[in-house]
Amino acid sequence: MTALVTGAANGLGRAIVERLLDAGHDVTAIDREENGLNALAVEYKGALTVCLCDLADPEAIARTVSSLREPAFDLVILNAGISATGRFEEIPPDAYKKLIDINLQAPILLTTALSRDNRVNKGGKLVYISSLSHAVGYPGAAVYAATKDALAIYARSIRKPFKKNGVGVLTVFPGPIRTDHAELHAPPGAKASKRMAPDVLAGLVLKAISSRKTELYPGGAAAMGRFFGRLMPGLATSAMKRAIYDKLDGNTY
Amino acid sequence: MEGPCNILITGATDGIGLLLAKSYAARGHRVLATGRRALDDHRTYFGVERIVYLQADQQEPVRAAKLIAETAQKLGWENIDVAILNAAIGWAGSPDQEPARSVQNQIAINLTAPVCIAAEIAPWLFAQKGKLVLIGSTAVKGQGSFATYAATKAGLDGLARSLRAEWRGRAAVQIIHPGPTQTDMHKKAGMSVGLARRLFMRPKRVVAAIERAVRSRSKRVVVTRSYAFFASKSKEGRL
Ligand SMILES: NC(=O)c1ccc[n+]([C@@H]2O[C@H](COP(=O)([O-])OP(=O)(O)OC[C@H]3O[C@@H](n4cnc5c(N)ncnc54)[C@H](OP(=O)(O)O)[C@@H]3O)[C@@H](O)[C@H]2O)c1
Repeated sequence: MTALVTGAANGLGRAIVERLLDAGHDVTAIDREENGLNALAVEYKGALTVCLCDLADPEAIARTVSSLREPAFDLVILNAGISATGRFEEIPPDAYKKLIDINLQAPILLTTALSRDNRVNKGGKLVYISSLSHAVGYPGAAVYAATKDALAIYARSIRKPFKKNGVGVLTVFPGPIRTDHAELHAPPGAKASKRMAPDVLAGLVLKAISSRKTELYPGGAAAMGRFFGRLMPGLATSAMKRAIYDKLDGNTY
Repeated sequence: MEGPCNILITGATDGIGLLLAKSYAARGHRVLATGRRALDDHRTYFGVERIVYLQADQQEPVRAAKLIAETAQKLGWENIDVAILNAAIGWAGSPDQEPARSVQNQIAINLTAPVCIAAEIAPWLFAQKGKLVLIGSTAVKGQGSFATYAATKAGLDGLARSLRAEWRGRAAVQIIHPGPTQTDMHKKAGMSVGLARRLFMRPKRVVAAIERAVRSRSKRVVVTRSYAFFASKSKEGRL
């Protein structure tokens, strides 16, 4: 199998890449930083190709796609994302533009660029990493939440049209993950042990990919969040506000 | 609270936004209307006094947001009572054929610009507990032939949800999702709707429905045919 993974240098993306390589697949990794990916490429002797690309830049995305060596992929995992936490009105507009461009625009541009030229194989799958915030809201990261809602609805919109081309779509709604990204944005006092380890999550994602699932709320916490968010959306968002917004000490973007 | 309100309406040169601007101005409110067009004579264009027009192209969202805040300052506005962020464009077609340009423009105009504008005008909204109104669409649940458009509207829906919790006690946040309306938006989106257009709601009705929704305390309003029907019978308040 050939796979393309964005945001592959760290966290969930990295864990997915390692699992795919271990299973003997060919992987193209896209990230803005190299962070040990090249060492991994040497270790796996050619099974891993690393592309550096600034996903905030649409032209860089177009260039990267046209320079990809693989003619087509069986699996495209659009995982790269950043966050911005703080009081909505205190985060500068430029940071919002970048956040939306990386979290929403980049996965859509990659989807259209690859599918326009039939570079996703029949029987293949597109995977979008949204967030559990889709179910519960996220005061204190309102625009991050907006990008993840938008991505989830993009994925839902293209499901039927892409099915006609034989391409499946899976959306993942992870709760907190134990990554540097989460560490940076978590409220003070939040326990790292409550966050899911990237490798465990990667395992669940790969399992869902080989099933017929179209949505994955991985793990008990995500399943609870989804249930609570559906049943009492207002209360869920208020609870998120108390857990996150009311404990903010400064803005991180 | 009596007297005229300060109302910001983006995308007020056509369709729903234009009718909203004229209607609020005709009832004595002060309207700051924005759009992407350069208008030579905006008095004749709007046909009403009390509308100030600002060219603020949301294809450059950060810049448009700054321009709007600067203009509110220049007008001497101390507060904004209602900000209706309405400007949007669409692209219709199979998602695997969607041009990169269309993806970028829809995201910039429909999502990034409202985010940046809301952040820039927050002080004016907080001044007298004003109201931020985001115009979404019933496509918010997902739509195969409008994938990026639907995504941007879902982004606004999610923004409203989290921002409402953040701004509680400081300013109201409302999202309104209109159903299909007989404006030129579909034509501009490259879609020929043909006879289906007859099933769309009349813009006047939709505007009355939006005005009713803005008067109400509802957090999230879906403008269906029946909502629009009853809105045309509802009483006007200050707004
Ligand atoms: N019509 C429908 O069926 C429907 C259904 C659901 C939701 N809505 C929503 O309702 C709102 C109004 O739509 P409408 O039907 O009235 O559409 P419309 O007639 O096309 O009006 C859209 C307005 O936005 C302006 N605009 C477009 N690009 C802009 C930019 N780059 N910068 C600033 N302004 C820009 C347009 O300017 P120009 O005059 O230069 O084009 C126009 O004034 C939109 O948010 C739309 O998504 C419409």
